[in-house]
Amino acid sequence: MTALPLAGFLALSGALLAVGVFGLLTRRNFILILIAVEVAMNATILNFVYFAAFAPAGGAGISGQAIAVVLIGFAATEVAVGLAIVLGLNRLKGTINVAQATELKE
Amino acid sequence: MSLEELAFLLLAAVAVGTGVAALLVRELVHTILWISVFFVDLSAIYFLLSAPFLGVLQLGVYAGAVTVLLLFGIMVTRKRIFSREAATGVGPVPLALAVVTFIFLVVALGQFPSGAAPVQSYDPSALSGALFGAYGPWLLLLGLIMLGGVSGAIYLVREGRE
Amino acid sequence: MGTFTALDDWAFLVPLLSVAGFAIVGLAGTRLRRLEWGGWVAVALSGAAMVLGVAIGVGEMLDPGAYVNAQFTWLHLAGSPGPFPNGVSLVVGTLVDPLSALMLLVVTVVGFLVMLYSIGYMHQDRGLPRYYSELSLFLAAMTGLVLSNNLLEFFLFWELVGVCSYFLIGFYYEKPSAASAAKEAFLVTRVGDVLFLLGIFIYFFHYATTGPAGGWAENGFVFANGTSPFLPAASVGSSTLLTVAGLMILGGAAGKSAQFPLHVWLPDAMEGPTTVSALIHAATMVAAGVYLLAVASVFIGFTGTDQLAIVAVGGFTTFFAATMAVVHPDIKRVIAYSTISQLGYMVLAVGAGFAMVGLFHLFTHAFFKALLFLSAGAVIHAVGTQDLFKMGGLRKPMRLTAIAFGIGGLALAGIPPFAGFWSKDDVLSAVYSQLGSHPLYWPFFLLAFAAVFLTAYYIFRAWFLAFSGDHPRDPSLPHAHEAPWVMLGPMLALSAMAVVGGLLIFLPNFQSLLLYGAGAAGIPPVYGTTDILLSTGSVALGVAGIAVAYLLWGNGRVYALPEGSALQPVRRLLLNRYYMKAGYDWVGQRAVYTIARGADFVDRYVIDGTVHGFERVFGSLSDRLRRMQSGVVSDYAAYVIAGLLGVFVLLLIVAPYLISWFGGT
Repeated sequence: MTALPLAGFLALSGALLAVGVFGLLTRRNFILILIAVEVAMNATILNFVYFAAFAPAGGAGISGQAIAVVLIGFAATEVAVGLAIVLGLNRLKGTINVAQATELKE
Repeated sequence: MSLEELAFLLLAAVAVGTGVAALLVRELVHTILWISVFFVDLSAIYFLLSAPFLGVLQLGVYAGAVTVLLLFGIMVTRKRIFSREAATGVGPVPLALAVVTFIFLVVALGQFPSGAAPVQSYDPSALSGALFGAYGPWLLLLGLIMLGGVSGAIYLVREGRE
Repeated sequence: MGTFTALDDWAFLVPLLSVAGFAIVGLAGTRLRRLEWGGWVAVALSGAAMVLGVAIGVGEMLDPGAYVNAQFTWLHLAGSPGPFPNGVSLVVGTLVDPLSALMLLVVTVVGFLVMLYSIGYMHQDRGLPRYYSELSLFLAAMTGLVLSNNLLEFFLFWELVGVCSYFLIGFYYEKPSAASAAKEAFLVTRVGDVLFLLGIFIYFFHYATTGPAGGWAENGFVFANGTSPFLPAASVGSSTLLTVAGLMILGGAAGKSAQFPLHVWLPDAMEGPTTVSALIHAATMVAAGVYLLAVASVFIGFTGTDQLAIVAVGGFTTFFAATMAVVHPDIKRVIAYSTISQLGYMVLAVGAGFAMVGLFHLFTHAFFKALLFLSAGAVIHAVGTQDLFKMGGLRKPMRLTAIAFGIGGLALAGIPPFAGFWSKDDVLSAVYSQLGSHPLYWPFFLLAFAAVFLTAYYIFRAWFLAFSGDHPRDPSLPHAHEAPWVMLGPMLALSAMAVVGGLLIFLPNFQSLLLYGAGAAGIPPVYGTTDILLSTGSVALGVAGIAVAYLLWGNGRVYALPEGSALQPVRRLLLNRYYMKAGYDWVGQRAVYTIARGADFVDRYVIDGTVHGFERVFGSLSDRLRRMQSGVVSDYAAYVIAGLLGVFVLLLIVAPYLISWFGGT
């Protein structure tokens, strides 16, 4: 059994989350927003895997991996639905620039 | 520094780098390339952390299906061969939020013991036992959500929708 | 209790009878088949009140020095350490003593006579039930005021009397001048009322902090307790606070009794019916101010400065008002100025320390002034005008009225043996005897003395203008006829009083009664040898005044001042009442407009500004906030993430602090 610095691993997932948030907030292309969300989700899944890996001995930590599996499934579904929205938006507006999809403006 | 640590450091750097690059390049197709590398890199980390099943899953689902989906999306919706709609300016608020997020996470990290911690290694069968055992309901839930999601997606893109 | 004072415990019935009149006529008057039946009810009740009042009054006069005090404590506050160790008791009650007895006689007798006269005078007017009920209420309030046994109750009835005066002056409320005169009367006397109330407060404060325990203020300002006055006047010190309080009392009295500078309302009050003028503005209500001064001087006491102020106000007003009466063409207003002037005499006497002398003049004045008013009323009723220059020669068709008015005039001018001579002379003697005590009394005494001439002159000018000559100066005047008996009766009764009323002075104990409550010790008897000189002088002045009036106005002559005469501007000044009312109007307008502008500014800019400020703040806030809904999804995502971060911060960073603050485990 090897010993690895947990803090460093967590720093990675934290950084990836920050990157994902940043992209989510700044990009105007809807597909890029989807990609940013994917990055953030992967950061979360990474966290679960960490906790599975760094769990105390006893085998209970496997639950982290199990949840990670389920989460990957969720993420994939979300991409599918997101792309459907992209296609719909494109059909409606002729563009996927979210700055131009402002029907929610008050 | 042990070999694993070094490997992790490398993989981490690549992950962050490709992630940022994917979001910042001007060409949309380039982002797909970067993002696929990102997914593969993560998969490698999973292997490193003795989650082989997850590693493979990541490759198959993310580096495979999700990447292709995204590629299809780009292809269908772009107007010219080389789209320039990729990047826009950066406002102060999102930057601030991202920075804050990161700082917050760093602080949260302080709760964890620094230094090395032992890494478990699991038998792959242990995962199947958990997944179809205690976490069976989660799988069912996943199935339902996928059903709902895909049905919705099909509905959203049907013909005749104006 | 003396032999004649057994009735005194029932004194409270006197106002109560009039209240009954007010209630009955007020509520049921309009339902009677003939409206004047309400008048007879009021007359009957006021007659009953008169009988009782005369009985009580005469009883007290025959057995002077006895106080009969009946009271009921309606509020008692427990004592506390400090100013009121024995608590404060407020009472309501009646006090029968020489002061109130004399007033009671005046008020009830004149009240009854005027009521009776009204049956004839108000025969054709509309709104009769209102008139009789208001008049009854007035009588109730006035008799209540006279019988009050404490300062607070006095003030209550004082206010009520003022309200009734407002109602009655404004009886012809459709006339704008009448409505405005009623308002003027109320507001000007209100100024006096405020001063009066301030005086009460000052007394309360003073006697609470310096008086002995169980003293005057603690007992609700009662004037007398059992058979002794509460605060003998001799014990008054000379503190500034007491002087100020006394001046406040003077202010209140000046308002009600129309002394300078609060006299402006009385001439205008002539807008009311003549009967009202006779009762209220000659005999009773305006006398309330003098009565207040009398009561205050006997039971509370005035400092030397106060006395000087009172003498000054009274003396000055006497002369001042007489000057204005000299030129006026309206018969009622001449009599009104005369009232102001004579009230000045009463105030003068009280100021000099002789409360009963002042009240004696009030007594005689009530009768001959009411007589003058009622006679004038008979004339107005007959010829339909009040303008002296349109009248003339009325002594032929209105013989009895002319005699009555003449008797009143002689009494007013102070010609013996008519009533006015005795009382006015007593006033002058009393003041003269006090001239040594203060050097500044002299000018006011002289003014009062000079006014005797003016008084005789102006009243006989009126008599000659109205009654002498052969025919009216204005040919369009309707033919005059004598007044009906229901009007003549009271006039005759009052004439009788005007003739013999002064002879009261020869009653055995009346002389000593006149000295009742006199402030200083060692006061000489009111009528001594030096006083014969005074009397002769005043009679001479009176006769001179009548003679001058005859020269100018007798036999139908009309004396017109030459156009270029130097006296013309004087005449204009007098006719315009020294422009005082115009001055008050101007000041009042300026004051009101300034305050109104200030209030408008505050209302518009401060208050509305605050309200609009709220509007603007919230408006701009909402404008800024609504930009959050930009429609751009990334922005919404930013909000979500910011909120999420906030929750995490709350949970992970703030929560431990909160837990440690609130002592959780």
